[in-house]
Amino acid sequence: MTSTLVETEDRREYRATRRRGLAVDLSMTLATILAALVIGFLVILATGKDPVRAYEALLTGPLERSFRVGRWLEDATTLTLLGLSVAIPFRARQISLGAESQLYAGALAAAAVAIFLPLPPVLAVVVPLVAAATAGAGMGFVPGSMKARLGANEIVATLMLNAVVVRVYDYLVNGPLKQPGSSAVHSERIRPDSALTPLTDWFGIPLGRANIGLGLMLLTAVALWLLITRTPLGYRIRMTGSNADFAEYGGIRVPRAIEWSFVIGGAVAGLAGAHLVQGVYGRLEPGLAGSLAFEGIVVALLARNNPLVVVVAGLFYSYLRAGGDIMEQQTDVGTEIVVVIQAVIVLLVTAQALPDLLKRRIARKQVAQKQVGAR
Amino acid sequence: MSSVLDVVLSSAFLAAVLRVATPYLLAAFGGLVAERAGISNIALEGQMLAAACTGALVAGYSHSVALGALGGIAVATLLGLLLAALRLELGADAIIAGIGLNLLASGATAYAVFTLLDDKGGTSGLKSGTLPSVPLPGIDGIPVLGDVLSDQNMVTWLAFLTAPFVAWLFYRTRFGFHLRAVGEMPEAAASVGIPVRRVQYAGLALSGALAGLAGVFLSMGYVSFFVRDMTAGRGFIALAAVFLGGLRPWGVFLAALGFGAAEALAVQLGTLDVPPQLVSTIPYAMTLVALALYAWRRGRRGTGEPAPASL
Repeated sequence: MTSTLVETEDRREYRATRRRGLAVDLSMTLATILAALVIGFLVILATGKDPVRAYEALLTGPLERSFRVGRWLEDATTLTLLGLSVAIPFRARQISLGAESQLYAGALAAAAVAIFLPLPPVLAVVVPLVAAATAGAGMGFVPGSMKARLGANEIVATLMLNAVVVRVYDYLVNGPLKQPGSSAVHSERIRPDSALTPLTDWFGIPLGRANIGLGLMLLTAVALWLLITRTPLGYRIRMTGSNADFAEYGGIRVPRAIEWSFVIGGAVAGLAGAHLVQGVYGRLEPGLAGSLAFEGIVVALLARNNPLVVVVAGLFYSYLRAGGDIMEQQTDVGTEIVVVIQAVIVLLVTAQALPDLLKRRIARKQVAQKQVGAR
Repeated sequence: MSSVLDVVLSSAFLAAVLRVATPYLLAAFGGLVAERAGISNIALEGQMLAAACTGALVAGYSHSVALGALGGIAVATLLGLLLAALRLELGADAIIAGIGLNLLASGATAYAVFTLLDDKGGTSGLKSGTLPSVPLPGIDGIPVLGDVLSDQNMVTWLAFLTAPFVAWLFYRTRFGFHLRAVGEMPEAAASVGIPVRRVQYAGLALSGALAGLAGVFLSMGYVSFFVRDMTAGRGFIALAAVFLGGLRPWGVFLAALGFGAAEALAVQLGTLDVPPQLVSTIPYAMTLVALALYAWRRGRRGTGEPAPASL
């Protein structure tokens, strides 16, 4: 009887601690964003521009017209998928920089199917998506197994693979896959059946190129969250990330967990490539993703690799990107300031000592209070 | 095939290799020094970019090429110190902090150029000049050798002198011993009285300075202006050369030279009927294979050699 009482007491205590931890995490994230925005404000001020007007455009611009909202949601879909794709290996404490190669492989696979393979209606959308996820997973498997089985540095491996795949992509778009008879460099358009339905068709307001990929992205985030928090594989990945030696001791096959984290992340980045082909551009374009692959890393970091929070971070960050473009059109402040803000966010997030210091102080205060209460 | 051979054996090609390899060599030695000091410097790319931009801007406004070069190197050195501070004082992960610094350099350089010159592309509107080339009086008369070696930019000469310099630094100086000791086992180094932090700060500053010289060469050697994101991944390739070279000065030298040669070859073959993109994948694919082999061999040997910081 007394033991159950102690247990419920313990559980309540544990839940309270967890809630406090989440509150601290969330407030740290918000504080980080706020601090970065303040620094951006000061930089604009220091360069002799009007920061108030610039920030007005940056922060309210994306919501002013419906097609701007569409532009934001379209960008958020790709960026969040990329954030999710690196969040999974990050959970296993693997620094994968391979989202770029995975995205381009996914785009190629999706385009190859969607251009050349006639399929019945629903399959015409699904098969290219599956092909893209498979291709991305394959590109994740290479550096993943090199790291897991051979111990090769995953950073160098993923960077080299990026360099190879991006060049092969470039070759294919400029050569074999180039639309014949076109002076501009791009592939043929995908079959209309394979396109991801634009949100405009659903809501009846012009939302630009935003498409049902947004829903796919949300589903992926929930699925990954369930995977990480509710499945044995997710547990193995988390354990590997928090302490590989201990996980090994506890009977977890660490190399397997590492490999899987790369493969799953790769599949998700492949989906991001499919979204660009089937939803945004409708064909292969040179330099399809720009610098998005690296920006996915920022999103994952900001969200502390929690898939559900990645969605929030992705929406927030693409909002800044969309706002930055509007700011540049309406004021004389360049959109690059957004990259500076982003960099400040990364640097603040990595400065582990700052939040830890804060957490420790809070914890100490609580212990002190409890001791007073017990007396 | 004979035409490929003609290209490869021409003195113009060999001269191009030296030129193209210059930024790789400097940045790779920057990466090597940091890696040996126990802090991976993935910010090489950003340091190069910041130096290239600062160099062109300072030289353009001050009308002094030397001042520009010094300014560029100084900024990159500061970024090296900043990375060390983030790692050592704030406990940041060096890789993630490096990614942050790369982003910072990319955004800040583009923002600065746009703000100062109202130009999105770069500083081509600004007359900033290039660092001088060095004619070699004795050698420039000799047929092939003269064409290859003479009139190379002074930074190219510095880049090739960096290999023996770093080898000497590592294995012949007190600082080099300390650096390697700190990188391999900081606790042990501290226990014998080596000032660990100071050595790491110095190593990262030197690392940044070398990357800075590489960056300065891009905007004041290759060409006489800064273009947005002109480093184009060279910092990452240099990092690969560090590992491919097995973290040893002469190995890194050969790896960086190899990357330079492959890039020069890709450019030359573009004029023939070979897809340049495919040729240019070769060094990266080779690096992947070499990385796998290196790791496999090390794994088979067991714990022969202490693993470097990030391996």
